[in-house]
Amino acid sequence: MTTLLQASDLTRKYGDSIAVDAVSFELEEHTATALIGPNGAGKTTTLSMLAGLVSPSQGAIRFSDNEKKDIRSIIGFLPQYPKFFPWLSALEFTEMAARLSGVDTRQAIRDAKNTLEFVGLGDAMNKKTGTFSGGMKQRLGLAQAIVHKPKLLLLDEPVSALDPVGRRQVMDLLKELQQETTILYSTHILNDAEEMTDQLLFLRQGKLVEQGSLNEVRARYAEPRIIIEFESLQELQRFTKATEWKVTSKGLIASIDVQTEGVDISSILSVLCTGLFMVRKVERQTASLEEIFMKVAVI
Amino acid sequence: MKGLSVLLQKEWREHIRNYKVLWIPIVFIVFGILEPVTNHFLPEIMKSVGNLPEGADFTWPEFKGEEIFVSLLGQYQLIGVLVIILAFMGTISGERKNGTATLLYVRPVSFRYYFLSKWIVVNGIVLGSVWLGFMAAWYYIDALYNHVNALPVLGFIATYSIWLIFVVTVVLALSAWLPTGGAAGLAILVTLVYQVIDSLIGAYWSVSPWKLSMYASYWFNPDSELSDLWMSLCLTVILIAILVLFGIFMSRRNAAKTTV
Amino acid sequence: MKFMAELANIPWNLILPIIVLQLILMTIALIDVIRHQRTNGPFIMWIFIIVFVNLIGPILYFVFGRRQV
Repeated sequence: MTTLLQASDLTRKYGDSIAVDAVSFELEEHTATALIGPNGAGKTTTLSMLAGLVSPSQGAIRFSDNEKKDIRSIIGFLPQYPKFFPWLSALEFTEMAARLSGVDTRQAIRDAKNTLEFVGLGDAMNKKTGTFSGGMKQRLGLAQAIVHKPKLLLLDEPVSALDPVGRRQVMDLLKELQQETTILYSTHILNDAEEMTDQLLFLRQGKLVEQGSLNEVRARYAEPRIIIEFESLQELQRFTKATEWKVTSKGLIASIDVQTEGVDISSILSVLCTGLFMVRKVERQTASLEEIFMKVAVI
Repeated sequence: MKGLSVLLQKEWREHIRNYKVLWIPIVFIVFGILEPVTNHFLPEIMKSVGNLPEGADFTWPEFKGEEIFVSLLGQYQLIGVLVIILAFMGTISGERKNGTATLLYVRPVSFRYYFLSKWIVVNGIVLGSVWLGFMAAWYYIDALYNHVNALPVLGFIATYSIWLIFVVTVVLALSAWLPTGGAAGLAILVTLVYQVIDSLIGAYWSVSPWKLSMYASYWFNPDSELSDLWMSLCLTVILIAILVLFGIFMSRRNAAKTTV
Repeated sequence: MKFMAELANIPWNLILPIIVLQLILMTIALIDVIRHQRTNGPFIMWIFIIVFVNLIGPILYFVFGRRQV
């Protein structure tokens, strides 16, 4: 793995308030990193700094690929609410975007067409962007961000404005893009983050409070437990009496903390078998990203 | 240079599709025709419409063609400059406010080209319109008044063109610096209001961009001393260059203020 | 009769270009306002301004009334 980008001590102040506070992280090539945090945590500001829109008050962003003079030519950026010149067609806009990023004219037209097909705007490419719906704008935003084949793709809430079908389609597109490029995206929809992420960055009040791979973060917060669903309440009560483990129950479900009680699936199963308990389901569970998020984000 | 040509195309497309390429020239041409025509027919119109009392003999001043050029310039100074300010006040600030600038600023585009592309296209539209307006006026003046020689007319329009480039540069530089409303207000102050001040207390100095519109008429008077005109032209060109640099600097500095 | 004579006296060849240009200006403004139907302030008001306020009407529309989609 080679490092594409290194952000160290990244800070942005607006007057007295600190939007991003000494954030450091690395992005490996061909990985997807999810930037998570509640509203106002500094996600957009962080992305804006990487995109070159906002200059950091402190800290540095280093690209391994520093032969290029203007770093913006290897970046693609999708703002949360992309705004287009309403009097340009989707094709004209995407072509302009490619040419501004240094693609020569003929290639730009070809690339723009292919990219628009790729994001599903093939039929609408000659329509004026002023007539586009929110979902179409989001797709066009993605198209302009990837048309020049950037090494780094910065996406601010790429799917949060979409309906479930659109969200599914765009997530699939992003996963496809992940093969060729490095993606850093912010989201507050944790299912999306769970689906496509090699690295998680948790921001809270401008500070990076948690970082690591999905599994690492899970391991830290997971509190794995074993869940048993019984056939009846009597069975559950019989079970709680029969064991020494601390059992928390809710309805027909009993839950045992793996770490504090030192249990695993097989030890539970042997108890269940010897006592001939009537059971519907036994399952090992870890905290969902959402539960982790609540813990990390809400202090 | 490549980035510049892409941006020039974008600006040109924008002004075609918002009809500025059409309506601004028409406005200038209409005023260019109206001025000689109304001045020529005013006496007749007044005679037939305004019921002048019997025996009231009004002598209307006989205008010369040159004077019509100058009075048309007076029209352009108010209505034309106002149209320029209002039509182009949001050229940069508007893109920043509505967020369309964001997707330009994240591309490897130099702010020099960004500002210059707008400056070139807006100047093109404004100068094209004004020249068409004066040409139309010239045609009517030749038909209704007297023949005016080409050389003084070209000198007259060229001098006025430098003033208008100055106006356009002020508007764009302010639009790079301030929000649209502030840019418009300050542009009106700098071009129109200061013009009045310069003419009131400006007797103490003779070199000033705000005097160019007056100096332009010197071309029609062969006895005029043109040194003040040339000095003012030089000063104006220098100020235009400084304002362009200021505009480039401000569009870069304010890039972070764009709506993300 | 006097009126007709005066009408004939008007040098139409000189006036006509102004009328034509004003009509073009008005038509562009009208086409634009009807196609977009999005204006600052009431849409119908702008149609009246464009049609009935000579010359200045369309200019006012383009400067103040027109809204980018």
